[in-house]
Amino acid sequence: MPQPLSSRDQTLFRTVIKNYEDKHYKKGLKACEQILKKNPKHGDTTAMKGLILNAQGQTEEAFALAKEALQYDMKSHICWHVYGILYRTNKNFEEAIKAYKFALKLEPESQQIARDLATLQIQTRDYQGYIQSRAAMLKARPSVRQSWTALAVAHHLAGELQEAEHILTTYENSLKNPPLKSDFENSEAVLYKNQIIAERGDIERALEHLETAGKDALDRLAVMELRAQYNKKLGKKEEATKAYRALLDRNPEHPDYYTDLIEVLGLSDEAERKALYDEYATKYPRSDAAKRLPLDFLTGDAFRQAAKSYLVSMLSKGVPSVFANLKHLYKDESKKETLPALVEEYIQELKSSGDVNGDSSKGEGAALYFLAQHYNYHLSRDLAKAMEYADKAIALDPKNVEFAMTKARIYKHQGDTQKAAEAMDAARQLDTRDRYINTKAAKYQLRNDNNEKALELLGMFTRAETPGGPLADLLDMQCIWFLTEDGESHARQGHVGLALKRFHAIYNIFDIWQEDQFDFHTFSLRKGQIRAYVDMIRWEDKVRDHPLYSRPALAAIKVYLDMYDASQSTNGVNGTSGDANGADAQEAKKAAKKAKKEAQKAEKEAAEKAAKQDPNAAKKEEVPGKKKDEDPNGLKLAATEDPLGEATKFLVPLLQFSPKLIDAQIAGFEVYLRRKKYVLALKCLNEALALDENHPALHAQAIQLRHALNSDMKDLDPKVQEALKETFTAVPASADLKQLNAEFLKKHGNSAQHRIAAARAAVTLGEDRSKAEKDLVDALNIKDTTFEDAAALLEQLKKWKSGEVASFKQAAHEKWPEVTVFA
Amino acid sequence: MDIRLLRPSDIPLIQHANLENLPENYFLKYYLYHALSWPQLSYVAVDVSRPKKTPYDYPKIVGYVLAKMEEEPTDGVQHGHITSLSVMRTHRRLGIAEKLMRQSQQAMVETFNAQYVSLHVRVSNVAALHLYRDTLGFQTEKTEAKYYADGEDAYCMKLDLGFIKDQIEEEADGEAKDEGEAVGDVGSDPAEKKKRDAAEKEKKRKVKVGRGLGVGELVERVETKKE
Repeated sequence: MPQPLSSRDQTLFRTVIKNYEDKHYKKGLKACEQILKKNPKHGDTTAMKGLILNAQGQTEEAFALAKEALQYDMKSHICWHVYGILYRTNKNFEEAIKAYKFALKLEPESQQIARDLATLQIQTRDYQGYIQSRAAMLKARPSVRQSWTALAVAHHLAGELQEAEHILTTYENSLKNPPLKSDFENSEAVLYKNQIIAERGDIERALEHLETAGKDALDRLAVMELRAQYNKKLGKKEEATKAYRALLDRNPEHPDYYTDLIEVLGLSDEAERKALYDEYATKYPRSDAAKRLPLDFLTGDAFRQAAKSYLVSMLSKGVPSVFANLKHLYKDESKKETLPALVEEYIQELKSSGDVNGDSSKGEGAALYFLAQHYNYHLSRDLAKAMEYADKAIALDPKNVEFAMTKARIYKHQGDTQKAAEAMDAARQLDTRDRYINTKAAKYQLRNDNNEKALELLGMFTRAETPGGPLADLLDMQCIWFLTEDGESHARQGHVGLALKRFHAIYNIFDIWQEDQFDFHTFSLRKGQIRAYVDMIRWEDKVRDHPLYSRPALAAIKVYLDMYDASQSTNGVNGTSGDANGADAQEAKKAAKKAKKEAQKAEKEAAEKAAKQDPNAAKKEEVPGKKKDEDPNGLKLAATEDPLGEATKFLVPLLQFSPKLIDAQIAGFEVYLRRKKYVLALKCLNEALALDENHPALHAQAIQLRHALNSDMKDLDPKVQEALKETFTAVPASADLKQLNAEFLKKHGNSAQHRIAAARAAVTLGEDRSKAEKDLVDALNIKDTTFEDAAALLEQLKKWKSGEVASFKQAAHEKWPEVTVFA
Repeated sequence: MDIRLLRPSDIPLIQHANLENLPENYFLKYYLYHALSWPQLSYVAVDVSRPKKTPYDYPKIVGYVLAKMEEEPTDGVQHGHITSLSVMRTHRRLGIAEKLMRQSQQAMVETFNAQYVSLHVRVSNVAALHLYRDTLGFQTEKTEAKYYADGEDAYCMKLDLGFIKDQIEEEADGEAKDEGEAVGDVGSDPAEKKKRDAAEKEKKRKVKVGRGLGVGELVERVETKKE
């Protein structure tokens, strides 16, 4: 039974709540103790004590107290509410929702509990639950516009557009006086309603609504854009033309306006379209878009002429992005020829006219820079020429950062990560106060596996006072590019722990990004910016489809797969690694042990060095409130017993949000095959085949799957067997796999990547490994083999701990002396 | 190049561009806070020519302006503020920064009735100073000593936006229509304003050191207080 408090203690209890809200935790705890001294079994106070401890990071104690509190006082909404908050802050949303619902049952009038519940429901995308909660909250506070908007949003997000519109209209109709034009909340609500009408597909009504209710909305750009779009969709040529012209007057740098206007005007003729762009190029001489966009569609002489005038104007201004802005035209062979020829012409004309520009980054310098980039670009690559032009540009303007950067890029494309890093550092030293070039220099150090130097460089721009040094600051600031590059570098060096540490850090940043929306569920309603909020929700729904996620996720999966494969071969289990005999297995075991030791040693050294660099780091790290990282080098991560489970954690969002990414499907297959989840593996294989049936890796995968099924099929559930039989068509059950593989090798033998696939398949099928290795070594002699291919060959040989590794590396080094990985 | 309004889905690459270019960095949530509080004010420059590497590539951001309205103007005058502006050094000399700024300024007046816009700039940043003072017409209000985390001073600059207002009125007159004029405090519910102010007061400190704490707990706290 609940203990009633004296009026003095009641007052004290209210200060506890206030202390908590003001984050005066010490005071709050003290007050709790005071109350509990006299009323040791007071549920609400016990719960509040738990809540405060939770805020201080003592999660376990907090939960213990919250449970205790509920034993004292099952019927207290405060106890249940606190219980829910504990679950919520510890990310167990399901339990939190349950607890909030109990609390709300006990105290149906509490707006705060209702709001906490509703927020969690929308955070977890429980649309129907959210609608219910918002409907109840509307009933409690019908006079506030936010209540109505919130319910409309709930219906809208649930896909119930008609209902959403109806709620908004009901509120509008209840107003006695029309809102002022300056009423911002109203202005946004009107545009929000307009969006819903348009999403319902009734463009005619949307336009009418826009021209009446929305006419004076304060977001002018939105009104203008919607007007243009609606009129265009409705085929109202005159109005649409006027609207798009108004938009172009406002912002002549937005390509969509031009293309939409052209569509409205029905201009299909090249010359007509060009005339329209010219009109704006004349009207807005400083507009880049009007001059550049016609290059996309012009052909022949017209292209040549337009390109010439564009290039001349850009080069004489020394615009560094000319090449970046034109390289997409290289898809067209004739444009790819014309552009550099025009630039050469420009240089000749400059020379004959004798015009010398005072600023050497303009004119000839800019032209040479363009050509250096041209020959460095993969569609027109000739790295020797690129270097020649870069050197010429640098001779003209030795202090130019962009010119110097290009040289580093050329070295990178040569595979010379060492020289690339040096050259980028030289570029950096030309402007040490610019973070952009500093970032590039650090990135190039990482590509060259010089992690320490990279961090040292980055430390020139991170905040000096962050405890833990540059690394901690980059982590704090969610610097994903660094974590990715550093992780990939550690993975290359076999520092499994540090690599995983970085990749997990990125995974966690995405968790944070997902949680970041939490506060906006209430904040945005207050701000009244509903359209932006809905936009945000839709983006957050797929936040992990970002390449910033998929790249490190793929890298993490690769580390875990290698880890698993190594453990299989050391245990002498013939998983995917074919039939290693006893001696081989022992050898592998030894090597793995040695590698592990080396990695640990390297990590330890790195850690020691880092500590030395910042003698205060250890001391500073003990700042209260910030949890100490118990595993800064990822040794615990590297020691996982379940690498495939960990890989799956990274994999699931990849397959869910980036299913069209072939590398995701390929990685998915590898994980699921090893887990013997054959249906899922097949699904990945089939998806990948649908994306690119000629991808060499898929040949090996299909054979691996068929091989596995040949031995495991009989043990599977009959339903699963049936499903596999029906959908696995890439390699028929009756196929002679060895023969199939031999045919594949014969057909594609002149491609290094296909040879790797065939070799993998051969080893899976138990064929002679030394023959497979030979095929890989021999691939070095294929004419089209690039150094990147050779690096992949080397990696495969290394993975097999092949005796050919050393001689292969030597041969590759002779062929590509500049490439760092073979040095 | 494409100059357009910032969208929430741009934010990861805006944050990326910021981390690449500038020493003043913010959490993703702080960008969200801008995008969801004043979605009309922030613009991006996008490299539309870039060939896609994956089907999920997001438009590459080569420049951005992150802008806001001052929620608690000490002088009581509605005004905008530039939180961060950056253009990749590989994309300079096309006037991108200026174009981004002009779009933002226009919206500040139209949507929020801003009287002026303010910003801070490193005293050593010659290129930026040239843009603000000579191209856009900003004036230096004062110098704030040690404004930046590394100890550098900042110029506090201001631009009166009356000229945009005049333009808008002119155009309205030209159309011979009584468009009226947005007057008074935007979102004039005093209780609302108080709340926002409280949130902003906390935040301002964070902004100053170049760290965006985000709306996070501040907003939550103010909320619970109200009950």
